[in-house]
Amino acid sequence: MGGKVTCTLGEVKNRADFIIYWGGNPADCHPLHFSRYTLIPKGKHVPEGRKGRTMVLVDVRETPSAKHADILLQVKPGKDFEVITTLRALVKNQPVDAARVAETGLTLEQLQDFVDRMKNARFGVLFFGMGLSMTRGKHMNSAAALALVAELNAYTKFVSMPMRGHGNVTGADVVMRWTTGFPFGVSMSRGYPRFNPGEFSTIDVLVRGDNDATLVLGADPGATMPQPAIDHLARTPTIVLDPKVTHTSRLARVHITTATTGISAPGTVYRMDEIPLPLKPILESPYPTDEEVVHRILEKVKEKPAWTPASYKEVPCA
Amino acid sequence: MATRQFIMNAGRTTKQGRQINVGKDNAEYEEMVTTLIMHPDDIEDIGASVGASVRVRSENGEGTFVCQEHGGKEGKVPPGMVFIAYGPPTCKLMGQSTDGTGMPTSKGWEVEIEPLAAGEAPAEVETES
Repeated sequence: MGGKVTCTLGEVKNRADFIIYWGGNPADCHPLHFSRYTLIPKGKHVPEGRKGRTMVLVDVRETPSAKHADILLQVKPGKDFEVITTLRALVKNQPVDAARVAETGLTLEQLQDFVDRMKNARFGVLFFGMGLSMTRGKHMNSAAALALVAELNAYTKFVSMPMRGHGNVTGADVVMRWTTGFPFGVSMSRGYPRFNPGEFSTIDVLVRGDNDATLVLGADPGATMPQPAIDHLARTPTIVLDPKVTHTSRLARVHITTATTGISAPGTVYRMDEIPLPLKPILESPYPTDEEVVHRILEKVKEKPAWTPASYKEVPCA
Repeated sequence: MATRQFIMNAGRTTKQGRQINVGKDNAEYEEMVTTLIMHPDDIEDIGASVGASVRVRSENGEGTFVCQEHGGKEGKVPPGMVFIAYGPPTCKLMGQSTDGTGMPTSKGWEVEIEPLAAGEAPAEVETES
């Protein structure tokens, strides 16, 4: 089974009576999530607001989000996949070994209670964060979580949503999807899109040293990526477009200061539920927008003679 | 003083998110990304103290961090686990393999932690290439 059963945050606000955060810490990373969409608001079908909703937090540590939770399930690090698989078995009333469950840091009773609550919810939602997707198991953890939610729809309405990062990462994925058919890790080097995470994804390309130049837009890989990737950015020509001095701009050959999107530059940002929102600038900036700079670079690139081998031009475009 | 194995989780904090909008080129940001949150029993166990510098070593690299007790704004950690806000120092500890997913493993690293010996200067955090 594949795919994501999901909805908008508006539906969560108006309908969700059972909310799970798994491997995410919205109190720190999405500080308005509780108050605007999930816990506090009074929804059309949840008129009691917070009293009409139950929140379960699943994490390896007691984050600041724990004080907002009704139930905290503290899993041992690296055991998320095992817990989700056990939940999927319990949802289908399959036998589960209590001793094996204990290895996850939770008890069978806790998980059975969790499953009963999920099945008895009117509208459940599972938000999952990087504690699930950037720890051991990675996409297998996310796939298991999506499958659990899909299977719960045999009993009640249940949806899932990844807790996307700051800025406009959802927008980057969405635009890549409708322009190339793939969300990330896309290579256009043959003139048509090819998708292969692990081969064409940014960190892998940088670590292997496949690229001989990098254009960084609104990101600071110099402060977030593994050191070998940062070393390659420093070794090769890197161009950064950013309103601020960052770790990446310090190691770049060229740093072009641009206007801050959403404050001094208009545009569209995609919320984590993939709803596009227009941005109205409120302050003027002396700097150009990212879009203007990229267009000007593109115009200059077009003036250069094509490098593509003649034989490539015969490949039909899809 | 003792060296012990821990599970390291790196993550974001609200304070760090606010500071990103001010800029990272200052002492406040550097302090945030070089603070290591630890269980008090573990601090005692390795022979360190709150505010002391400790060396964190993973299979990929090492860095120096300032030890702080859990229970503050960053929440709590169970014994055997440490929390650090993402930043250039944690980049040195992360592995380069994405396991074919495109995503680095930024959480759940096994690291060794030991207090710095008396007189041993903490390593400077590199901010320039």
